[in-house]
Amino acid sequence: MDEDAVAELIEEALPEAQATVTTPRDPDDDKHYAVRVVSPAFEGESLVDQHQLVHDALGDHLTRDIHAIELTTLTPEEAE
Amino acid sequence: MAFEPEELSPEEVTDQVDSVIEDNEVVLFMKGNELMPQCGYSKKALALLQQHRDDIETVDVLKATDAYREALERHSDRETIPQTFVDGEFIGGSDILEQLDERGELAEKVGQ
Repeated sequence: MDEDAVAELIEEALPEAQATVTTPRDPDDDKHYAVRVVSPAFEGESLVDQHQLVHDALGDHLTRDIHAIELTTLTPEEAE
Repeated sequence: MAFEPEELSPEEVTDQVDSVIEDNEVVLFMKGNELMPQCGYSKKALALLQQHRDDIETVDVLKATDAYREALERHSDRETIPQTFVDGEFIGGSDILEQLDERGELAEKVGQ
């Protein structure tokens, strides 16, 4: 599963989300992704719940098609 | 030192996961152990927790990875490793510990 597909999954599930997906370690390792998600849906949510929203969006893909993600979640203000 | 993980049945793993989460304040399910973390994320999670706690109960999931993933999913909805629990509550993997740390919220979350 490549970066764009991961970003698409998240952006479809979360209202007005912007997902930036990169490969932190070696470029051809398509299993580990660094994912940065900015969305108003995070407002008022605890960090744990924000992360859960993204994990829910990825569903079973996480660990089956995507080995691991390093996730950072931000509200639009925090992302400025 | 020959490393042969003793065979744990899924039931034994499930029981162990349930009791370890209940009986300990801070639990880290990781790949490897405190002396020999076997994965970067597990090592990072352990280091972040060790900044605030010296009584972390670690569990090496490599002994029965699939069984641990299944047992953990019932507690956290996730199969990724590592996983941290504080007072029975799922906190997250190493990325959330890192983000909590960056925001200065980790100490409060893991209870000094």
